[in-house]
Amino acid sequence: MSGRGDARIVERGFQRYEGPRSGVGGAIRSVSWQSIRATLGLGRPARTKIFPVIAVVIAYVPAIVFVGIAVLIPGDILEPEEVADYPGYYGFIILAIVLFSALVAPEVLVSDRRNGMLAMYLSTPLDRRTYLTAKAVAVIATLGLVTLGPPVLLLIGYTVESAGPDGVDGWLWTLVRIVASGIAISAALAAVSMAASSLTDRRAFAAIGIVLLVLASPILAAALVDGAELSPSFRLLDISTMPFELVFRIFDQPGNFPELSTWSVLAGNLVWTLGGIAVVWWRYSKLVIAR
Amino acid sequence: MSAIIETRGLVMQFPSTRALDELDVTIPSGVTGLVGANGAGKTTLISLTLGLLRPTSGSISVLGMSPATDGPQLRAMIGYGPERNLLPDDLRAYDFVRHLAEVKGLPRDEARSRASDSLYLVGLGEERFRALGTMSTGQRQRVKLAQAIAADPRFIVLDEPTDGLDPVQRDEMLNIIVQVNRSFGIDVMLSSHVLEEVERVCDHVVALSEGRLIAQGSMDELAGASAGIELELVELTDRPTAIDDVVTTLVEAGAGVRRSGAVLSIRGLPDGELFDLAAAAVAGAGARVRKLGQHRRSLDDIFTEAPTTDDGGAS
Repeated sequence: MSGRGDARIVERGFQRYEGPRSGVGGAIRSVSWQSIRATLGLGRPARTKIFPVIAVVIAYVPAIVFVGIAVLIPGDILEPEEVADYPGYYGFIILAIVLFSALVAPEVLVSDRRNGMLAMYLSTPLDRRTYLTAKAVAVIATLGLVTLGPPVLLLIGYTVESAGPDGVDGWLWTLVRIVASGIAISAALAAVSMAASSLTDRRAFAAIGIVLLVLASPILAAALVDGAELSPSFRLLDISTMPFELVFRIFDQPGNFPELSTWSVLAGNLVWTLGGIAVVWWRYSKLVIAR
Repeated sequence: MSAIIETRGLVMQFPSTRALDELDVTIPSGVTGLVGANGAGKTTLISLTLGLLRPTSGSISVLGMSPATDGPQLRAMIGYGPERNLLPDDLRAYDFVRHLAEVKGLPRDEARSRASDSLYLVGLGEERFRALGTMSTGQRQRVKLAQAIAADPRFIVLDEPTDGLDPVQRDEMLNIIVQVNRSFGIDVMLSSHVLEEVERVCDHVVALSEGRLIAQGSMDELAGASAGIELELVELTDRPTAIDDVVTTLVEAGAGVRRSGAVLSIRGLPDGELFDLAAAAVAGAGARVRKLGQHRRSLDDIFTEAPTTDDGGAS
């Protein structure tokens, strides 16, 4: 029998804390993670999980189908990348990505202004700049779930079926391109959707605004280029297409608008991204948070 | 005693309102009550303390640091319980408190245990896994206090912490606030427009009116001390001018008199002289006394005595 009396009662209850603190970096991490959880409905009622689950399913199902095709049809009959290559894959899930961005940014930004959390956060080590950084990380990371995850799944599936890129170098280079593509799409859509979300205190209005912007911009671009026969550069106004056009260029493909140079596509995406950031910063720097 | 908050010539000008006007305030350790009517500038001072607003002019120092330039470092040491009763409804109390403790820099495991400990301290141990949206106003006020103390701040700022509470809940909340200070050495500044509760729990008081400081100091200095005498007379139908005659006699003798119906607050001379003077005036006028006693000064008197202005207001 033991009974040496090693057990002891550890004092419980509220006590002073003298240990280390993580500072602003820890605050950004915590707010980002909490925002991602809120967006995906983790730790929340089941009804909050419905839309994220639908968007994620729409984004991943094609990848699963294409990997299935690669498994079922021998490579000498049909090369998997003839069914769907990496940049072309986004064409199947563009709707899911746009809907997801219309869901994520309003949840991440608008909710805090409505439920008092913004003032709570700004009474912590965060200030407006670091708060927005945390939120941008959350939006980009969450969008990464649908912009980065499916092509990575495709790469892994093709690789397992011996239909992936040749050699380690080729495989790593493809992975780098997939990651760069996912980040580029996420960054542009995050900036634009955060800008729309910063302008209203209603999540529904923000979501509708994002969808309308994405739907209206290609119409405007087409009207200017095809209708009014202005410079093809006006295609860059099309936010629903330009991030995906950039992905083609990242994969050294001409894309849907070969008349646009890669540099102009890159510049167009940068302008959309930086413009979105500018709107968000302008809005939050003017916001009076008095309690 | 070192100052927790010190302001010099602090001005906060909003487009249409001067919320704070040349405010010189020193708030020491302990429990400090920030009192004033709605619009006195209490919330504006709290916002400046947290660095949520930048002052138009003047300076503010909190725990020896500037909220404007040392904001992140300073706010890690401050707990804040906002006035607004808006909280994320679908979040559980425990998750809310834990998350904010993490944001204030506590490691994850420490934040978890301290979230539970804080919620137990405020009496919500058994309720800690309930969603905030299902909680009563009193419980939500307690959750706000729990999150303010969870990260072990040096100083907590509570904006109207008893707002919306019934008398029993209010007493319980005030007792917890006092316990936080006395047992754990956490300094407290609480804003309130209910003067009795400030008198009950605070060591110090800062009184604001229309953005201006009208009094500050320890509770002993500002309230509780003798402030003249109070004389209540009987209104006599056969001698309708008796009370007026008493007032006239007192004023002519050099006393200050404030009349409210048949009740006279008499000041301006030592209490002993006031009693003698009142007795003589009552006898001379043929008045009849219902009650005579020493008047203990209260926070209410500070506001009654404060000069009022027609201009300006505060947010």
